[in-house]
Amino acid sequence: MTSGGQNSHRGSQWVRLLFGQGDISGPVILALGIGALFVPLLPGDFWTEVSIEILILGLFAMSFNLIYGYMGQISFGHAAFFGLGAYGTAIMFREFTGGTAEITTTQFFLALLAGPPVAAVGALAVGYFCVRLTGIYFAILTLAFGELLFYLVFSWYGFTGGDDGIQRLLPPPVFRDPTVYYFFTLAIVTAAGYAMWRITRSPFGYVLRAMRENQLRTKFLGIDVRRYMLVNFTIAGGFAGVAGALWGPFTRSVGPLLLGWQESGIAIFMTLIGGAGYFAGPAIGSIVYTFLQAYVTGFTVYWPLTIGTIILLIVLFAPGGLLGTIDNKLIARLRTRSPDSSTAGREES
Amino acid sequence: MVRAILEVTDLNKHFGGIHVTQNVNFRMVEGEQSAIIGPNGAGKSTFFNLLTGYHKPDSGRVVFDGRDITGQAPHVIARRGISRAFQVSNIFPRLSVLENVRSAVHANLGVTMNMFSRADKIGTAETQEFLSLCGLNGKETEIAGQLSQGDKKKLELAIALAGKPKLLFLDEPTAGMSLDETEETMNLVDRLNRDLSLTVLFTEHDMSVVFNHANRVVVLNRGEIIIEGTPEQVRDDETVQKIYLGEHQI
Repeated sequence: MTSGGQNSHRGSQWVRLLFGQGDISGPVILALGIGALFVPLLPGDFWTEVSIEILILGLFAMSFNLIYGYMGQISFGHAAFFGLGAYGTAIMFREFTGGTAEITTTQFFLALLAGPPVAAVGALAVGYFCVRLTGIYFAILTLAFGELLFYLVFSWYGFTGGDDGIQRLLPPPVFRDPTVYYFFTLAIVTAAGYAMWRITRSPFGYVLRAMRENQLRTKFLGIDVRRYMLVNFTIAGGFAGVAGALWGPFTRSVGPLLLGWQESGIAIFMTLIGGAGYFAGPAIGSIVYTFLQAYVTGFTVYWPLTIGTIILLIVLFAPGGLLGTIDNKLIARLRTRSPDSSTAGREES
Repeated sequence: MVRAILEVTDLNKHFGGIHVTQNVNFRMVEGEQSAIIGPNGAGKSTFFNLLTGYHKPDSGRVVFDGRDITGQAPHVIARRGISRAFQVSNIFPRLSVLENVRSAVHANLGVTMNMFSRADKIGTAETQEFLSLCGLNGKETEIAGQLSQGDKKKLELAIALAGKPKLLFLDEPTAGMSLDETEETMNLVDRLNRDLSLTVLFTEHDMSVVFNHANRVVVLNRGEIIIEGTPEQVRDDETVQKIYLGEHQI
């Protein structure tokens, strides 16, 4: 083997160690996981709280990517399910505490458990109509339903608190410690992320990718495309609801803007930054987005201008997002493909 | 009497003012291998589309394997046992060759709602079997969209076969293939028809393929069946020669 060949081989080994075959590899995930354990050791609570936000919004964006990256449809209304999850939990909080009493640990867990089913039922109802369409029509319909739910929450003072939202969502004393809430969130997000990862690698996940690639051929395999779209839409809504459920006790309040299109835009931004074609893309996007937001807003009020510029640059010069750019520019030449992993992680570029 | 696997009665379809399928009556028996020929625009692909649920007929009846499938959705018809390959290769372009066929195998195994098992551990032997049957060994890792036109056709055939159909529709199965690939593919179709009693209906512009590989030939012109019979009968029919083949003998 020539020297160049040896270097290339070594490069290939490193790349595979870091990137696996089509997505971030096990060792990298392990390293990130170990790193995550040490976040609370950073001085002050600020970075722990930023990390909680990264975890929750990362889960939200990954759930969005089940629809966008895997199923090939863009939803502009995904925040509706994040918000429904948040409100499901918040309303249970209010019912348990009456707005004044302390919530017990059992009640806290029950309240958290209420969020995802509310979101999933909402997604099922919205999805029932949306999956009849694809492409831009699907996107616009999700936006319309998202705004409809936003307005419903915004105007239903008696039940949702209207534009005031629901305040004083104080978790039990032990969970008020940012470090405890961080580890609690880390555990739930890890479990939810693992479940989503399993889904994307399952036969059901293959159907999602088949539908994204060619709906007509998928139908002629004997697959009821609408039914699978609806199931996936509901699952994605449920996972967004998990993220939403964690959000209220973290910020101590929920408001109708959680259901709005701007919130949906955050999931889209994170996914585009990290790479829609990769399972880990939205998680990476969440780290970059939330970290930048925390950092940039420390010295300027022009955060929207900053994130707008970043998105512009990504769309123009790195349309595959961070992971897509690394994959396309560096790894594609070096990766030794194995049959099923050749496209397993790289969903779209 | 040999059992009919497909019976089409008085099938009609209009697109606007154009009557693209006119009172078509057609019957296939199990194990038959037939060809539909006709000039461009004769309605061959529309006929396939009507039988497979892509279009709904305006009137008429389609009975497959004893069940009325008229106007049913493509996925329902596919589950009943009809597979098809399209005129323009219809594959999953950004998935690997292996994943293309594996997806079809999963659909046939009925595991597509399984969200917990690893997809790459299910149906591996069957997938390899169909890949090897269609001459795609060694191309498992290639991205389907980057295959040659001939290989895309083979891949689509493998996908269609992975559904383990009772009736297979092939719309110009050898379009874009070299002579060797054409021969190889049609020999495979013959083998499937002979060994597995797979009923096959194909359209083809290459008359040597039609007359060498079909037991029965149906000629369609302006949406109507003008003649059907053995390849010899069709070849010798004056109407066919005038309408479809011009004045030239085959």
